Amino acid sequence: MTNTTEADFDPYMTAIIANRIDGIIREMTNTLLRAARSGVINGARDFSCSICTGDNRLLASAEGLPIHIFGSHMQTKAMCDFAGDELREGDCYLHNDPYSGNTHAGDHTYLVPVFVDGEHLFTAVAKAHQADIGNALPTTYMAGAKDQYAEGALIFPAVRIQKDYQMVEDVVRMCRSRIRVPDQWYGDFLAGIGSARIAERRLKELCAKYGKDQIKAFVRHWFAYSEQRMVQAIRNLPRVTLRNSGAHDPFGDLLPDGIPLNVSIDIDPDEAMIEIDLTDNVDNVECGFNESEACTSASTITGIFNALDTSVPRNSGSFRRIRLRLRDGCVAGRPQFPHSCSVATTNIADRLVNIVQSAFAELGDGWGLAEGGLGMGAGCAVVSGKDHRVDNAAYVNQLFLANAGGPGSPLADGWITYGLPVAAGLMYRDSVEIDELKHPIAIRFLRLMPGTGGAGKYRGAPAMEVAYGPKERPMEVIWPCDGTVYAPKGVRGGHDGLRCQHWKVGANGQEEELPNIAVLTVRKDEYVKGNQAGGGGYGDPLERDPRRVLTDVLERYETRDRARDIYGVVFSGADAEAMKVDDAATRARRSELRSKRAA
Amino acid sequence: MTYRISVDTGGTFTDVVVSDSAGTFTIGKSLTTPNRIFEGMRSAIAHAAEHLGVALEDLLRETSLLIYGTTRATNAIVTKSAARTALLTTAGFPDVLVLKEGGKFNPHDFSQDYPHPYIPRRHTFEIEERIDSEGQTVIPLNVAEARKTIAGLGEQGFEAIAVCFLWSIANPAHELQVGSLIEEVLPGVPYTLSHQLIPVVREYRRASATAIDASLKPLMQAHLRDLENDLRLAGYQGEILVSTAAGGCSSIDGLIEKPIYTVGSGPAMAPVAAINYSRLERMGEDVIVCDTGGTTFDVGVVRDGHLTFSRDTWLGPRYTGDLLGISAVDMRSIGAGGGSIAWIDDGGLMRVGPMSAGSVPGPACYGQGGTRPTVSDAAVVLGYFDPDYFLGGRMQLDVEAARRAVNEVAVQIGLSVEETAFRILSLASDLMVRAIGDVTINEGVNPRESTIVAGGGAAGVNIMLIAKELGCRNVVLPNSASALSAAGMQFAHIVAEEAQSLVMPSNRFDSERVNEVLDRLDEKLHAFRRRLPGRGDAYTIERFGEARYLGQIWELDTPLATERFAGNGDVPAYLDAFHDVHERVFAVRDANSPIETVSWKARLMVALSEPLKPSPPAEVRAAKASATNRPCFFGDSTPAEVPIFKAEDLVRGSRIEGPAIIEETTTTLVVYPEMAVSISGNGHYLLEIA
Repeated sequence: MTNTTEADFDPYMTAIIANRIDGIIREMTNTLLRAARSGVINGARDFSCSICTGDNRLLASAEGLPIHIFGSHMQTKAMCDFAGDELREGDCYLHNDPYSGNTHAGDHTYLVPVFVDGEHLFTAVAKAHQADIGNALPTTYMAGAKDQYAEGALIFPAVRIQKDYQMVEDVVRMCRSRIRVPDQWYGDFLAGIGSARIAERRLKELCAKYGKDQIKAFVRHWFAYSEQRMVQAIRNLPRVTLRNSGAHDPFGDLLPDGIPLNVSIDIDPDEAMIEIDLTDNVDNVECGFNESEACTSASTITGIFNALDTSVPRNSGSFRRIRLRLRDGCVAGRPQFPHSCSVATTNIADRLVNIVQSAFAELGDGWGLAEGGLGMGAGCAVVSGKDHRVDNAAYVNQLFLANAGGPGSPLADGWITYGLPVAAGLMYRDSVEIDELKHPIAIRFLRLMPGTGGAGKYRGAPAMEVAYGPKERPMEVIWPCDGTVYAPKGVRGGHDGLRCQHWKVGANGQEEELPNIAVLTVRKDEYVKGNQAGGGGYGDPLERDPRRVLTDVLERYETRDRARDIYGVVFSGADAEAMKVDDAATRARRSELRSKRAA
Repeated sequence: MTYRISVDTGGTFTDVVVSDSAGTFTIGKSLTTPNRIFEGMRSAIAHAAEHLGVALEDLLRETSLLIYGTTRATNAIVTKSAARTALLTTAGFPDVLVLKEGGKFNPHDFSQDYPHPYIPRRHTFEIEERIDSEGQTVIPLNVAEARKTIAGLGEQGFEAIAVCFLWSIANPAHELQVGSLIEEVLPGVPYTLSHQLIPVVREYRRASATAIDASLKPLMQAHLRDLENDLRLAGYQGEILVSTAAGGCSSIDGLIEKPIYTVGSGPAMAPVAAINYSRLERMGEDVIVCDTGGTTFDVGVVRDGHLTFSRDTWLGPRYTGDLLGISAVDMRSIGAGGGSIAWIDDGGLMRVGPMSAGSVPGPACYGQGGTRPTVSDAAVVLGYFDPDYFLGGRMQLDVEAARRAVNEVAVQIGLSVEETAFRILSLASDLMVRAIGDVTINEGVNPRESTIVAGGGAAGVNIMLIAKELGCRNVVLPNSASALSAAGMQFAHIVAEEAQSLVMPSNRFDSERVNEVLDRLDEKLHAFRRRLPGRGDAYTIERFGEARYLGQIWELDTPLATERFAGNGDVPAYLDAFHDVHERVFAVRDANSPIETVSWKARLMVALSEPLKPSPPAEVRAAKASATNRPCFFGDSTPAEVPIFKAEDLVRGSRIEGPAIIEETTTTLVVYPEMAVSISGNGHYLLEIA
């Protein structure tokens, strides 16, 4: 048996210092969350903080979004490579280049190298999704961009933005000249740098307290410990090769059949290794859906972690037990320049999380997950325009009003505020009132839809629907939805979740169904409406505990019809307070449904 | 003689503090009697009366003020026994309580069901109406339909009604109309209107507070009235006040109107005690208060003499619990206490918690069948507790059981039982240090420049370790440490708070409109004040803006320097105050950014007592040598012979150098090597951290 634990491993000191590092990341997170300006950061928490080592390994990430953090070490490496000997204490770098380690251009990453006695020991990483980055259209998701040039964003491949703790104002001027609503951007920029600087201060204090040698020993031990935890987790799996496939929705005439995706997962419990092969996928596509290398890795690794013991630390130590086989120029691999990765953090990434986590369901009952609801539709659109209430000032922001529903699991129903597979419930939701206060928007409804979660022994979470339009002046509304054609799939007999669907409603009340990927102008008295997807179900609905079905019907997550027709549960008593499961009738109904299936 | 009694009814114990006219505190304790709170209260008061050498009846007759702190509301929420409550929402938005504000801890954990909302979906009713963010009526209230819905609630046996409409804070007309309809159709059924209870933006937190408040009304009305009757029957004639989450106390009538303010009111009193003790010992205005119980560790801060408040208090876990929403004294609780279990995970790392042995079976040393090693067991192994004198001899400790339990961990890491025990205690302390870090960071408080005031029965075991890690030099363990909340009530003021939302950007500041809001807040507070019997002159009103940089969404309390804005000339000072607060909390100042104030808040404080007067400093001299020694361990595998002091052996001015153990009837103080403790002229322990 491989035991990665080293002879001088100290179970106590390692725990103490890990606790301190965790505290530092919490402080970074709190600073960024509360000091930021744009709703996408301060309202939705679409950001993540992490700490990498001086030799570019991801050390710790606390509660960060998996899609953001699993590639941080590639960005710190880019910083070291580009800066070379010029790397100095007091520097801060801005990085958003998907070709040198970033997720997508919409995520601005602030990198602060932390020096202790002249030695570069750590890099503090704060990454925040921006409201705007100066793209050709007012959105950070340029689904239709033919290549990176067509996106139009300013690209920063680890560009120095502070030297000797002073701002490099040239960069600030560049951004202010290109990015929409520059004051909002600048507030976020200050918050991001502030967050990384706080980590710098605290890491230096930590080294002063425990001494550089002890901290270095900790780093070694923490990676070894994390790897050991991963080893244990993989040893609990059978030796098997899992294969799964899926597809992203079609995109107009460009991709009439969508983007097919394939994954093969080779589990070797003896060597305690998991190899993921993504080479059997199509070449880069001529639009914004290509994965950056960071997103390919992060989404597949997320899928793996979703299927394993959830307490394994997520860092370069545990990642040593995952081998990725990626192909250059592949839509789900390493992109070939100048293909666009504008939408890399969500659409294909969400599909990759789903096909990896659901592949594990093949291992048997108790393993894996169903597919989570996906697609960023109207509820997550980027909206922009002029605000008549404040002298027609410009606004741009991504909404996080409605969430897709989470997948059923071997133990629980789907999480209602799941959002997307890459976010997994971590992000916050917008308040209707805050959105109406910050933008000249009128929200007409926001609610859950009964009977829309994929049925199962554990069902997917129901879908959520929303409707809104501008108050006065026209509003640009842009979203790159997936899950309108290909539904989130159930596993082990579980049903699919509801697909997304959207309409534009004219001033005269006439409804026009919209394509999955929408770029539109909505005028006064018009509005858009639609729903995010429901989550896939896990296991046979006929095995669902009838008491859960009763609660679902009482609480209007499910309908009485679906209870009878899909779950085979019959109730006595008509009124909600008196309703009970009729056990005998349910048994009969279930065996009737089973024999119908067999027929 | 005139006494003042404060009563803190906790889940297990009822603590009583009786102060006499000289300001001397006497503590009484008894088991809480949940079925009839007064019985436990009477026993605890009798216990204190016994110490004082007076009869219970005489004590009650000679008492002028009784302050009552209750966990009744909190318990009702936790045990889901609050009233059957309906929620009325704006049509189209029925799921406000289900959806909450999002967020989750572990992104890879899919083993938990999504939490049920505080009020079931089937008890939520949509009302046709809509106000927009500018306060305009977009859809008028459908009165006929609303009346029908309300009548239906009566038929379905609802006992309380919560009403929370979108933007009622910008225009309360529809909520007020529905309030009148309820009074007309279902007279006597208690209800809460969101804009009246908690006029803040963000529908979830407003709805959550409103739902909680309404659901508590029937129960708390009965509870407080019953208690009042019981006290009167027992011959008590004085004034009765109730402590609140706002860090003060209020009248029974006030809390029947807003019972949500009794939730978490016990912990809210700890910082009140802490700042008074810090001042008494001349240790400054920045205080960290730590209250260590058997299963939780509560921590809060006092900054610059002011209690700190938060609207982010969750009942139950963050994200999945229910948000209290009201501006409550910010006490954070982590699941770390004497009962936290130590273990080694499959990667070989030492862990403490989150599992706890709770009170049943409790730590192994309690001898009630617990076998897992807990923090208390570690303290027993280290020799810190006298097995025959735990809780003043009320519980016999099983040392062998504790050793067996700790040995479970020791063999896995190849250390002696005693070395392992010390590491367990130190790791538990470190988790507490991080919890303190979270709170102090949030408030921009530097622990190194603050005073720690420690309370709770388990505080003395590791408070010196914690203080050392934080770099705190000033630490006070008050002689009432085991009843810190009840002690806090002795210092509490009557506090009432009113707020109103009015969004005001700094670049279009309208002093007149702000002054109108401030006038209304004052009116409400004065109306409340005038209803207080025999009080009224000794009051202050503090005023705040809840403000942020334009575009931010989390507000910071910004104090107003003046009572009113005498024209726009007063505005810059207010804006500067905001920049200062922002820089302190977030280390960033954006001097060119507009500032948006979202709502305005006024807090009335009516003083109930004079601040404590410090006794003259006692001459410090070494304490009389102790007669008993005990082997204790401090990280090494060999023990040190440590003198054991009993509280009664010590006098004001006594100084003891560590290592030493001081045993009180309700707590044990461990003085670590190279540290020391002395007893101040006021009778409190002052700890000297190495």
